[in-house]
Amino acid sequence: MPKFFIGTAGWSYKDWVPAFYPKQQSGGFDWLQFYSHYFNCVEVNSTYYSYLSPRVVESWIRKVIDSEDFTFTVKLHQDFTHKKNFDEKKIKAVNYNLDILSKAERLGGLLIQFPYSFPFSDVTADYVRRLSEIFQSYNLFFEVRHASWQNEQAMELFKKLNLTFCTIDQPQIGKSIPFEPVITNDKAYIRFHGRNVEAWMKSIHSYGKEQSYEEQSERYKYLYSPGELVEIQQKIKEVQGKVKEVYVIMNNHPQGDAVANTFELIHLLEEKIKVDMPATIVKAFPRLQTIFEGNGKSMTLI
Amino acid sequence: MRTIFHLDLDAFFVSVERILDPSLEGKPVIVGGDPHGRGVVAACSYEARRFGLHSAMPIRTAFKLCPQGIYLHGHFKEYSRYSRAVKNILSGYAPVIEQASVDEFYMDFTGCRRMYGSMFELASHLQKKIWVKLSLPCSIGIGGNKTVAKIGSDCMKPMGITYILPGMEKEFLAPMPVETIPGVGKVTMRELNSKGIYKIDDITKLPSDYFAAAFGKYGIDLWLKANGEGSEYLTVEREQKSISKETTFGSDVVNKEIIYNTLFELTGKVCHSLRENNWQAATITIKLRYSDFQTITRSKTIKPSSDDDKVIFETALNMLKKAQTRRVAVRLIGIGLTKFNEFSEQEVLFEDIEIKRKKLLRAVDWLRRKYNYSIITMGAQ
Ligand SMILES: [Mg+2]
Repeated sequence: MPKFFIGTAGWSYKDWVPAFYPKQQSGGFDWLQFYSHYFNCVEVNSTYYSYLSPRVVESWIRKVIDSEDFTFTVKLHQDFTHKKNFDEKKIKAVNYNLDILSKAERLGGLLIQFPYSFPFSDVTADYVRRLSEIFQSYNLFFEVRHASWQNEQAMELFKKLNLTFCTIDQPQIGKSIPFEPVITNDKAYIRFHGRNVEAWMKSIHSYGKEQSYEEQSERYKYLYSPGELVEIQQKIKEVQGKVKEVYVIMNNHPQGDAVANTFELIHLLEEKIKVDMPATIVKAFPRLQTIFEGNGKSMTLI
Repeated sequence: MRTIFHLDLDAFFVSVERILDPSLEGKPVIVGGDPHGRGVVAACSYEARRFGLHSAMPIRTAFKLCPQGIYLHGHFKEYSRYSRAVKNILSGYAPVIEQASVDEFYMDFTGCRRMYGSMFELASHLQKKIWVKLSLPCSIGIGGNKTVAKIGSDCMKPMGITYILPGMEKEFLAPMPVETIPGVGKVTMRELNSKGIYKIDDITKLPSDYFAAAFGKYGIDLWLKANGEGSEYLTVEREQKSISKETTFGSDVVNKEIIYNTLFELTGKVCHSLRENNWQAATITIKLRYSDFQTITRSKTIKPSSDDDKVIFETALNMLKKAQTRRVAVRLIGIGLTKFNEFSEQEVLFEDIEIKRKKLLRAVDWLRRKYNYSIITMGAQ
């Protein structure tokens, strides 16, 4: 079995109280520290919006100190992927923070996510090549959302450059890439955006408009059902033998759905009958009771 | 004697509902919708069965018997997902699977003893695996044919395993009421009862002719099933339901040798695909189109199924010779194969010649792949 890193996209969500983070928090209570007691990985998304102070990154490392193999993956700033407006200074800013994590042995890699409006072509392939050269000292996970990337030529490019082609699960609209794990190097990076087709459509129409947090998050509001997760697990199982590390990131964050699904995927993928989780999440998602208690399944997994 | 497993998920819909809502554990649960509506019970938990409820019962009747029950509309998409997940697990073990319904699977493990050891232990392993991985309880019957296996799986529910030892089929069935036989509904049961036939044993004591006269083909089937000789073969649905190839001649052809040679070439290609999939075909179809566009198709089912060029070509050629009665030029010729079952090497373990021939054909396939059909022609014998 490969090593699994299973976590969520971001950890700092107010609406995870009280479904995950408790309502009563003592003075020293820290969200990331609490998070790292249960999960071994988190994808940092704040880096997509701003160039963080290195002090912040250093504080993360201190907070996860109790969690032996805790790993961060970091999402690249939108200047590189959506605005295509970057310079040496910005590259340095990104590298600086990545190197802090890397030296502390806490870096899983860099996530480079392009929008749906980045279909496969000679130009976009060249752009991928260019970014992969700039950030060649890190493990790179490239996420594209347009189905045109699913072709032999693109896969060859990823293999040649030793890049991980992210597998994503997203609402199936237009030429959206479907959930179909493909392996291009020794890692798999799988992201789940939910299957809220309606809200996803709505968000396309309100693109660029001023929106509240709730409005922005609406399209990620989706709780995967146990049957969907079982199907996902079986699909991942087909490819997991080909890689050394599998990253699984839940991005369906509103109201803690991602947290509940992450615990369920730990149960399914790591074949744990009983999963350590806080009472808060079991209360918010009663169906977790079974894996919280182990449900009398004393039989060893086979 | 074959080794057939019948795996039946116990109270399947209810089991899935309990995954979605663990608080339903231990309670009488009924899937089937509005208790005051016109629907029927699609499934109910064992707790509900204690009140006399059973599936297909009008839901209003169920409510009268068990008003304290929990009535659910059901999550049917979720049931299909779990059903597919079960099949996915089983396909890692069974060479051939027939999905008989959303919660029932037949598997043919004939000749797999060397690979898996005890069949009982294999069943227990599958049962555990489905329980641990999917939290679904199931029961398994093992027998020499589908009927016996199915009745076996129903014997010890839930989480039961029943192995009907080879040769014991008739004794196993003898004391059971006739309606235990799959396919015997209320109407047939009453008819049999009116003739003084209550137990399966009563059927076997009468000659098969009697049932043939009374019920026709169905009667013979019934008699065979009662005697422990139910169907041994699984019906397997394939994504690719047929393999076929045809050739339209550049200019219409009269010369029979050219037509036969073309048929031979096409046969080689379809058999090659067949073997690549590890399948054998039971039905062979030929297609013949004259220059005036009159089109004739002929089919023949062979027993046993085959993936052998020689067998299939001979059958096809015979059909073609019989079908081609006109002296008109031929425009198109084609061959199609359907009704596949997977080839199980173990079955022909002691038929050395067959094995050798199969190995040869596989070697030929390899060469064909390598040279893309160009160098090998066996020549129509
Ligand atoms: Mg059943």
